Amino acid sequence: MSPSDASFPGRSLLRSSEWALVLAIILAVAITALIDANHSYYFKPLESARDIARNTALLGIFALGATVVIIAGGIDLSAGSMIALSGTVCAATMLALAPAEMIGFKPVGPLAVVTAIGASLTAGFLVGTLHTWLVTSIRLPPFIATLATLVGLRSFARALCESTTASFTPTKSALINVYDPFFKTVRDNVWISVAVFGVLALFTWIILTRTVLGRHLYALGGNEQAARLSGIRTDNIKWFAYCYGAMTAALAGLFYVANESVAAPVNQGRGHELNAIAAAVVGGCSLSGGIGSVPGTILGAIFLRVVIDAVSKIIKTGADVYEGLIVGIVVVIAVTLGQLGHFAAGGRRLLPGSLGLCAIPTLSIFCGMIISMTAGARVGLASGLAALVLLGILRVWESRRF
Amino acid sequence: MDQHDTVVSMLGITKQFPGVIALDDVTLHVQAGELLAICGENGAGKSTLMKILSGVYLPDEGELWVRGVPVRFKTTRDAEAAGIAIIHQELNLVEDLSVSANIFLGRELRTSLGFLNERQMIQRSQELLDSLECRISPLSRTGGLRIGDQQLVEIAKALSLDASIVVMDEPTSALTESESRRLERVIGRLRSQGVTIIYISHKMDEVFRLADRIAVLRDGRMVRTENRSAASPQQVTGWMVGRDISNAHAYTPRIPGERVLEVHNLFVPWPGHARGYRLSGVSLNVCRGEVLGIAGLMGAGRTELLETIFGAGPQKWSGEILLRGRSVHFTHPQEACDAGIAMVCEDRKRLGVFPNLTVGSNVSLCTLSRAVRGGLVRRRIEEAMVAQSIRDTGVKTSGLSSNILGLSGGNQQKCIVSRWLLTQPEVLLLDDPTRGIDVGAKAELYALIDTLCRRGMAVLVTSSELPELLSLSDRIVVLSEGRVTAEFNRNEASEQRIMEAATLGAFNRTGHELPN
Repeated sequence: MSPSDASFPGRSLLRSSEWALVLAIILAVAITALIDANHSYYFKPLESARDIARNTALLGIFALGATVVIIAGGIDLSAGSMIALSGTVCAATMLALAPAEMIGFKPVGPLAVVTAIGASLTAGFLVGTLHTWLVTSIRLPPFIATLATLVGLRSFARALCESTTASFTPTKSALINVYDPFFKTVRDNVWISVAVFGVLALFTWIILTRTVLGRHLYALGGNEQAARLSGIRTDNIKWFAYCYGAMTAALAGLFYVANESVAAPVNQGRGHELNAIAAAVVGGCSLSGGIGSVPGTILGAIFLRVVIDAVSKIIKTGADVYEGLIVGIVVVIAVTLGQLGHFAAGGRRLLPGSLGLCAIPTLSIFCGMIISMTAGARVGLASGLAALVLLGILRVWESRRF
Repeated sequence: MDQHDTVVSMLGITKQFPGVIALDDVTLHVQAGELLAICGENGAGKSTLMKILSGVYLPDEGELWVRGVPVRFKTTRDAEAAGIAIIHQELNLVEDLSVSANIFLGRELRTSLGFLNERQMIQRSQELLDSLECRISPLSRTGGLRIGDQQLVEIAKALSLDASIVVMDEPTSALTESESRRLERVIGRLRSQGVTIIYISHKMDEVFRLADRIAVLRDGRMVRTENRSAASPQQVTGWMVGRDISNAHAYTPRIPGERVLEVHNLFVPWPGHARGYRLSGVSLNVCRGEVLGIAGLMGAGRTELLETIFGAGPQKWSGEILLRGRSVHFTHPQEACDAGIAMVCEDRKRLGVFPNLTVGSNVSLCTLSRAVRGGLVRRRIEEAMVAQSIRDTGVKTSGLSSNILGLSGGNQQKCIVSRWLLTQPEVLLLDDPTRGIDVGAKAELYALIDTLCRRGMAVLVTSSELPELLSLSDRIVVLSEGRVTAEFNRNEASEQRIMEAATLGAFNRTGHELPN
């Protein structure tokens, strides 16, 4: 993608790289529909779509926040822990306001629910402010600042959970069950989360493309010093970005609580910040800042969820076993495809020197092992050997060419 | 000249960079064991020439002979193998490594087992440092050393290569008096060992104290090579600046209005630097409808002066800045911007252009809020605003949504000027606005500055090219090492006088008598 696509009032909704993602999504769905032995896309289209939509919305909500932070030239590694903290704050607030109802599995009343949601979003704002303070006043690199909160906030959430349960229930516990009908409705009605995601996406898109703030976010990410020298209050823009990142994660945390009917700070959202960053990167965000878009991130999130769903359908194991592997491979392939032009034009080699020589068996072994675990040892061995031969040919071709 | 004595010959060297000819058919012979000084203004091509000699750049044309053999240096390693070492103006040290690790970086000594031979490296480093009168431990962290000591580490590194030809690129620009003296003693010692030294400087007193011969570069061409005894400092500065002034454009007098900006006794500290201040006791003023030129060599404090006025400087300052008679103290460029000051920064790529934004967004950035209706940016209003502005400045672009990096340097600069003109400033600060742009675009910028000035804008402009400054300015203030050393009216100013004032600080500091 060329940088000029990045912002000046988008002429068209999607850029060429985003159309490629649309194509990839359609392809992935088509392949799954064909290969899946249960043909679940054919027999249960609505159910399948709902599954993907729920997961995409859940990932997409805080992937939008990650996008804003990345465009502003930062990074937020703490989203997963923010999800856990937000859920815990929500449940703990309700427990404190209505302990008898919470323990007795009864409705806690609208006032408690609204207060709890407000408290969670406020927690997001506070964490975003903390990040900004660490980055701008203490001058920590964003990676370090949010790495600290990544580990710190989860532990904080757990401590909060235990001390709240110790105060308001007979025993202290590392989780708080949530039975309020409001959360049940959200869980049972998937389209609520999809609608929230849609509204948030529209809101984010308007901010990024149609407001001064949005333009300043791009400017900050593209050239921070020039932005400051142009009279932009870069610290305030960063403040917005980090708060947006943390508050979208807080919002996602509420959906996690609703879907699982429990606030479980130990595991909820663990590692999910990387999925959000991956969705943004697959959608065209540049981690050096200044480049990215809302449609790109939405498509990135859909693509990730579709591929994860496809693999779980085709090989019939729990999606979570292969989720990380899939996200990793998709990120590498998406970013590599974006750079293929450079390889062709700049005379860069994919397999240079002795590093390239060692990369050939490495890649072949990975390929062979992954396929043998999913499709049987014989197919795996054959694919591994095929990869070895193909990469070998590529290597020979490259050394002739340069 | 005896052929056997010539250790380096550079014949017909030409080097082009996009849009600029850095070196144009330069020929230079260096004799074995001599100290050859290379003088020239900023941008004359001194550093480029030395980077070619040391393998950083390959020349586009021309030949390089070392000790009678034609060579072609593709990397600095090739040059080092031929016994040539360079001490760059910007030091090339890894700050977090120890001194001895830096001296042997990339050429680490190893034991017979293949491990690092720390003991030997430390011992060799200690010997090298001792020979340089440098009292630092080879184990200390390089980043924690003073600049002068870091420079000696670089020299030690060059010596560890057993270099017989050492290039020093403005080595004293960051040194204190005593550090400069020590460097001179080191140079004397190197010469007694038969090392050939090529010494780049524009400080006349140093050049005349150290050099055997002096070569003068101007605008990428070799002007003259002369024995020291046959030249005077005045002659050399004359050769440095003396180009034909045929391109000076016709100047019709402007009538300045009331004073709009005054600077009184400005002091900007420079913690950790030998000089202690970036600017000291600087006073100047500029009126509406007037162009005030600020002359000075690299490091004189031109950029710091403009940045301080604009509220963008890193340091706290003392003194007084009056804008329309009111004392102001900006802490962020936004305040300066709101008060009617605009600044076009020196380094366009680093401080001006947003590479990820389009031409239109780059221009509208400072004034985007004017295109907002109901909280949203209206594209049509923004486009009209930008189109008007770039028409005034004459930006040539295929469209507002094209990539800014696709424009030529001159057009990028005009975009940035357009950005600032939209803020309707009363005072325009231009920091070396024509650096790296082509002749045509320069002429257009000069015309634009003249027009703006006649409309009543006050313009402060710095430039590393003296003829440019002379043709643009109504008055010229000369800075040298953070102080104002002269102020000329347009009719009093000449390149010779400015150059003398700009190099004055160096003379004063060392108190050296100039040979006449």
